[in-house]
Amino acid sequence: MPGLTGLFIPLEWDVCTHTEGGEEGLIIGVGSFCARPLFPGLGPEFYWINNQLFQAVLGAVLVIGFWLWVSYSHKLVPGKRQYFGELAYNFVRDGIARDMLGHDFRKFVPYLVALFSFLLVNNLFGQFFLFMFPTFSKIGYAWGLAGLTFLLYNGVGIYKHGLLKYLKNNTMPAGVPWWMLPLVMPLEFLSNFIIRPITLALRLFANLFGGHLVVLVFVVGGTMLLTWTEGPLNGKPEWLLHTAGGVALVFSLAIFALELFVSVMQAYIFTVLTAQYVASALADEH
Amino acid sequence: MGDRNGTSDGYRVLSLMLAGPALYGGIGWLLDAWLHTSWLLLVGVMVGLGLSTYLVISRYGRTV
Repeated sequence: MPGLTGLFIPLEWDVCTHTEGGEEGLIIGVGSFCARPLFPGLGPEFYWINNQLFQAVLGAVLVIGFWLWVSYSHKLVPGKRQYFGELAYNFVRDGIARDMLGHDFRKFVPYLVALFSFLLVNNLFGQFFLFMFPTFSKIGYAWGLAGLTFLLYNGVGIYKHGLLKYLKNNTMPAGVPWWMLPLVMPLEFLSNFIIRPITLALRLFANLFGGHLVVLVFVVGGTMLLTWTEGPLNGKPEWLLHTAGGVALVFSLAIFALELFVSVMQAYIFTVLTAQYVASALADEH
Repeated sequence: MGDRNGTSDGYRVLSLMLAGPALYGGIGWLLDAWLHTSWLLLVGVMVGLGLSTYLVISRYGRTV
C-alpha cells in the first residue's frame, strides 16, 4: 500500500522517511521538500509540528492580522493604511468576485479575499528569507484548499437548486440531443466533480513545486560549482566551474523574479477558478 | 453569469478534454483487461476525445 498512498499524497512519507538524517540541502530532489520537525526532541509523535505547518499557520495569522490592521477605525476620508487595505480588498472584490459571480457576488467576497491573501502570503514564503519554501509545494496543503473549494461550490449549488436539479444542471448540458446524454452525462460528471477540483490542486502544487525545484537547482547547484572541489567535480578545470557557478547564481535572480510572478499568478488563478466554480454551480443552465 | 473570462473558460475546456479520454479510455482499459484484448483502450480514448470535442464545441463554439 505505501506505493498507492504515495500516489495520492506524494512526497509525504516515502522519500522523506528514507532520507531522514541524510545530507540535507546538498542533494536537490524531492527530498528537498521534506518537512523538518520543529521539536525533534519530543519524539516521533510530535513530528507533525513541522516547519511547513508552522509556515501555513503563520501565513493565516499574518493574513488575519493584516486585514484587522487595515480595517480598524475606518474614516470617511481614508488615510494611507485604510486606502491600502481598500485597494487590496477592491482588487479581489471587483477584479475577481464581481467579474465572475455577477449580481450575488457579495456573499463570497470574504472567502475569496481570505483565500487570495492566504495563498499569496504562502506562495511568497517561497521567495523570502527565513522561509524560502512555498507552503503549497507540499501537495497536502493544495488538496486542503481545493477540498474547501469543492465543498463550497457544491454546497452553494445544492443549497440553491436542490440536489437533483443541481446534478441535472451539471451533468446534462443544454443543446445536446437526448440519445447522446447517456454518453455525455458521466463525462460531464467526471469533468465537473472530479477533474476540476483535482486539476485545481495539482495546478497550484505543480507550479510551486517546479518553481522551487528550479530555484534550488540554480542556487544550490551554483554554490556547489563555486565551492566543491571533491567528489564528482574533482580534477575539472577550476575556472570553468567557477564561471558556470557564478553565471548560475546570477541567473538565479532571474529565476527568483519569475517565481515571484508565478506565485502571484497562481494565487490569482486559484481564486478566479474558485469564483468561477461557484458561478457555474449557481448558474441556472449551462 | 457575468462576463465571460478567457482563462477560466480555458480551464473548463481543459477539464472536459481530460475527462473524455480518461473516462472512456479507462472503460476501454478495463474491458481490455477483462476480455484479453488490446485495442479497446485506443477506441475508448478516441471515442472520449470525440465526445469531449463535441461537448466543447456545443458549449463554446457558438458564442464566439
